Amino acid sequence: MEGSSDGVIVSRVLRGDVDAYRVLVERYRDRYARYAFHMLGNREDAEEALQDAFTRAYRSLARCEDPERFGAWLFRILVNRCRTLGARRGRRAKTFVVDEGAILDAAEDHPADRAAWREEIDRALHRLRADQREAFLLKYVEDMGYDEMSQLTGVGVSALKMRVMRACDRLRELLSEVHSA
Amino acid sequence: MPDDELNMRRIARDLRASSPRVDKSFDDRVMAAVRSLPRHARLTLWSRLTAPRTVTVKPLGWSVLAASVALLAIFGFNRAVDDVRVASKPIVAAVFPKTGAAAVKPPQRVQFVLVAPEAKKVAVVGDFNGWDAGHASYQAQHRGGGVWSVTAPVPIGHHRYSFVVDDSVWVTDPMAPRVMDNDYGVANSAIVVEEQK
Repeated sequence: MEGSSDGVIVSRVLRGDVDAYRVLVERYRDRYARYAFHMLGNREDAEEALQDAFTRAYRSLARCEDPERFGAWLFRILVNRCRTLGARRGRRAKTFVVDEGAILDAAEDHPADRAAWREEIDRALHRLRADQREAFLLKYVEDMGYDEMSQLTGVGVSALKMRVMRACDRLRELLSEVHSA
Repeated sequence: MPDDELNMRRIARDLRASSPRVDKSFDDRVMAAVRSLPRHARLTLWSRLTAPRTVTVKPLGWSVLAASVALLAIFGFNRAVDDVRVASKPIVAAVFPKTGAAAVKPPQRVQFVLVAPEAKKVAVVGDFNGWDAGHASYQAQHRGGGVWSVTAPVPIGHHRYSFVVDDSVWVTDPMAPRVMDNDYGVANSAIVVEEQK
């Protein structure tokens, strides 16, 4: 069943095969955890948002209008959960935990420098406004086009372009401060 | 590629690489949460019911439609099906006691009707009952001919709702306008409840 399309698995779940849903969880959890982690700033909140998204998606699975695109539908739910959770916990101090085991070896730098640099990127990312961070992550980390982003977020293309541009400017500014320090 | 664009791509690459892996127990936690929810079933019924417009336009549906129209007449239900459905004629005068001179306006009694010939159970869920399919006041009764209805209190104002068939299948009201639910990217039905004059 692991090789089956999303649509086939969704059909099985809708016919009462609850265990089939695990395949969808395995399929999407890592990629979507990445988005939630960068959006929310810590692993606990990211896992909570992701679990909530999977649970909500299951509960409303019969309302998924295009089961073959379950992943895109789930992502939309996750983006909204991150917005809600992020707003609720906006004032809470963020912790930036870098999972050493997940860091790729970098050829050009010493691994320790590389890890420190990535922490700086995380810090800079979380100094962005939430809407700019969201737009930047969707555009560059999730590699989405503006039309797709617009569909997902309900925000117009020109507004999204503006958010991405401001996010890039701010990131550049923050990271150059680190470099010059 | 301009330098700035290249830099952003590099930052994005580093962000992808620095993401934590999800804890191994995550899948089990999700599946435990999922198993605590009602199990999905009856996809074929869902397929039929998710084409609500067919209920009113197919020739074969005339007998059912006639039954539902008769039912509506019996209950004195009168609603406009144009731009916005207005629950304009709550069928029972406000029966809820006022709690004070400046009290919040009482809910109005609104009748919900769904034609679902193969359903075993129909409930109404909405923002007015916490989307709770088990809420006792919102369980529809079978009136014959596949017509289900319930008359229940709904506060004055704009609301979103849906029918839940057999505890698992969500169906929008074929007679009401549909509005998008941002969380799920799917539609609910919309209702405007006005104060009875």
